[in-house]
Amino acid sequence: MTARERGRVLAAAALTLLLAWLVLYPILLVGVDAAHGDAIAAFARRPGEWQALWASVWISLASVALAAAIGIPLAFLFEWLEFPGRKTLGSLIALPAVLPPFVGVIAFLFLYGESGFVARAVQQLLGLAEPPWRLQGAGAILLVHAYSMYVYFYLFTRAGLAKLDASMLEAAQALGAGPWVTLRRVTLPLLRPSLAGAALLVFMTALGSFSAPYVFGGGFRVMTTQIVASKLNGELALATVETVALALVAIVALALIRRTEGSDVLFALGKGIAPRRRQLRRPAVRGLAAAAGWLFAFVLLLPHLTLLLVSLVPYGTWTTETLPPQVSLVNYQRLLAEPDRLAPLLNSLWMAAASTAAAIAIALAAGALVRRRLPWRWRSPIETLIALPWALPGTVFAIALAATFAVHEPLALRWVLVGTVVLLPLAYVVRNLPLTGRAVLAGFGQIDPALEEAAASLGAGRWTAFRRVTLPLLKPALMAGGSLAFVAALGDFVTSIVLYTYDNRPISIEIMSSLRVNEIGVAAAFGVILMLVSAAVLGVGARR
Amino acid sequence: MRGRSPTFGAALLVLAAACGSPGRTPLVIYSPHGRDLLSLFERRFEQLHPDVDVRWLDMGSQEVYDRLRSERANPQADVWFGGPATIFARAAQDSLLEAFRPSWAGAIDAHGRGPGDRYFAVYETPAVIVYAEQALRPEDAPQDWDDLLAPRWRGKVLIRDPLASGTMRAVWGMIIERGMKQTGDTAAGFQWLRRLDAQTKEYVLNGPLLDQKIVRQEGLVTVWDLPDILLNRRDGLQLGYVFPKSGTPVIEDAIAVVRGARHGAAARAFVEWVGSVDAQLVAAREVYRLPARRDIPADSLPAWAREVRRRMRPADVDWDLLAGQGGEWMRYWDEHVRGRGAVAR
Repeated sequence: MTARERGRVLAAAALTLLLAWLVLYPILLVGVDAAHGDAIAAFARRPGEWQALWASVWISLASVALAAAIGIPLAFLFEWLEFPGRKTLGSLIALPAVLPPFVGVIAFLFLYGESGFVARAVQQLLGLAEPPWRLQGAGAILLVHAYSMYVYFYLFTRAGLAKLDASMLEAAQALGAGPWVTLRRVTLPLLRPSLAGAALLVFMTALGSFSAPYVFGGGFRVMTTQIVASKLNGELALATVETVALALVAIVALALIRRTEGSDVLFALGKGIAPRRRQLRRPAVRGLAAAAGWLFAFVLLLPHLTLLLVSLVPYGTWTTETLPPQVSLVNYQRLLAEPDRLAPLLNSLWMAAASTAAAIAIALAAGALVRRRLPWRWRSPIETLIALPWALPGTVFAIALAATFAVHEPLALRWVLVGTVVLLPLAYVVRNLPLTGRAVLAGFGQIDPALEEAAASLGAGRWTAFRRVTLPLLKPALMAGGSLAFVAALGDFVTSIVLYTYDNRPISIEIMSSLRVNEIGVAAAFGVILMLVSAAVLGVGARR
Repeated sequence: MRGRSPTFGAALLVLAAACGSPGRTPLVIYSPHGRDLLSLFERRFEQLHPDVDVRWLDMGSQEVYDRLRSERANPQADVWFGGPATIFARAAQDSLLEAFRPSWAGAIDAHGRGPGDRYFAVYETPAVIVYAEQALRPEDAPQDWDDLLAPRWRGKVLIRDPLASGTMRAVWGMIIERGMKQTGDTAAGFQWLRRLDAQTKEYVLNGPLLDQKIVRQEGLVTVWDLPDILLNRRDGLQLGYVFPKSGTPVIEDAIAVVRGARHGAAARAFVEWVGSVDAQLVAAREVYRLPARRDIPADSLPAWAREVRRRMRPADVDWDLLAGQGGEWMRYWDEHVRGRGAVAR
């Protein structure tokens, strides 16, 4: 082994240890803590716990199915067909991603809840005495999940389709395969990594989802709400066991999905051109497609519009009317006039920026080591550690982090970070690792090593080659991963609620406490601002 | 990377802005009292103590308890202001509170004084029956707890999720203890709650949503705490309320200095001030809190408070029993009563 190789292995070992300390260690500590016979017995004895765990699993599976059923056809539609307004509609359709988690759920309540617009309108239209439906239970949760999560399938599938090599499809046709066989035997296998990635993301998001079951669940319990109920009732040991049970489900799912993911070598080989979009020729069909597209986009944007409308309603003026009787900017004025309401916005911005920068730096280090300079056996632990935070619901990870850093034991690598401003951004970094890590690793996979070798043979040092060749080539991946991470940290609620302090209280906590004291309009105004910032950042991130 | 440098610059600016702190002593308060009361108290207390910078975080009382527990190694809060004395009692058992006896301690009823001077009641919060004023006349609203079980309210009752609410825990506790007094067993109380569950349309996750749903007439009657209803009426929400005839639980709303508080002197000064006659009257006049002090002359209280004192009948609740057994009862209710009432009937 040369000195340089030794250096690389040392660097890889350091990175692996850092990741293990950040990602794995807190969870292991919680697991050890949960190994109390009593609490485990109590968990096993109560039928309610098993029902909640099962509900979490099937709700997550159903969310994946629904999100795939909406997102995949849309992606094919927008990637393969050409019709008027395709580009604009194509980006509008991704907008559910910018609806902040908690206020988004409240917007749904005002829109589709039993005294929301849609229900009131249907009630008036049909002259019913009672509201036509109630937004509650598993159906309501699935509606919210499908709405907010199909975007992952849509974006991932579109990205996969854009990289598809037309020559492969032509080859299949030339060999006599019909459109269905081509789709089944060629297109879908080529899309497999994208689909598996989206399925993983949706499953984990649904498993960790808290706001929707909390607001719409009623008597229907899932594990995330069960953990909160146990904590509220003072049964801390039970809450820990529940936490570990949920984490175990997530880790099993991660292992299963990663197994079906396959390798992304197929992508790297594709050097052809993506298939050309088919023009819809008949004017009637074109018009119909465009109209259907706009109608669909309008339905998708209804929650955003509701949020905007609610943010314009002065307090207490909207009761039994279908539409609010008066609107004004008073909520925005209140928000901007009081400096202690503005602080959370600034806090969220700096924490999101700092944590995104750190997550990108770690991802770059991992990418450079794993994809370029290391033997394969290092690849698996580092990549697994980077993907693992996806498998840990936000509440679980936050509780683990708070417990780990509440004692001063430097020898066990534990310091008191609870109550300091750094713990929350640290949690954001770890939560964002899968987003930046995946983007950067995939980015490295698509760069031809020959380019870097060419730079080296032209006399560029390693640093110069990295700065002048690799980084510019990685820029789209960095922008995409970074903007997603930034938006996720900006809107985060489940991690923040456990770890915030006065000095770093983020915007989602301010929204929550506005809701707590009945200032729904102010909460919505915060939500609108969050939405605009998120949309702007994602827009910048999507620019190639 | 060119595209990112403005973001970085902005982040640094924001960071710089966030770090700049004035030279005053910060006083961190965890409280469920809400923006109205807290920003009012922030202004008043800072006028009296210009060297103190009051910083409050608004959260549910159960959440305060949770945070104090997880921040034990590095306490962030100096004062815990607000929440039922039963939760304070649990925190005192967990050694999360510092002993401090303010000068007004003697003016508080014995059951509002925590053991070892760990906490003291400052307000009294009665639970009331609430109805949608646009839909019901006052005389048509339920007048007592048992009226809530009348057939005409079937599917019209909304209840705040009782697991997460100190007010609802107190009401549930009162019902169960009432049954125990009559029959010697908790079964009677749970049977009553089962019948209420059959009437209940929905368990609502927080107070504001509950208020909204009543005003929007998704349900017509509920049970909630009086200060919240009075504040909402001031702000124009059409909510009516009734004091239950047979008596209502009156929750002792307490205050305490957090153990290991980093700004102990300021914390003690704040607690001392909140219980002063001045601050008690400010809270009563401006944000509808009923003073816990017994030595405030009735004629200096606002009209609403005199009215409430006259009409309200406190129910006889054994708070120690509730503090000890409440968790068990709530779990039993959650597993065996919630959502089962209609089946049992």
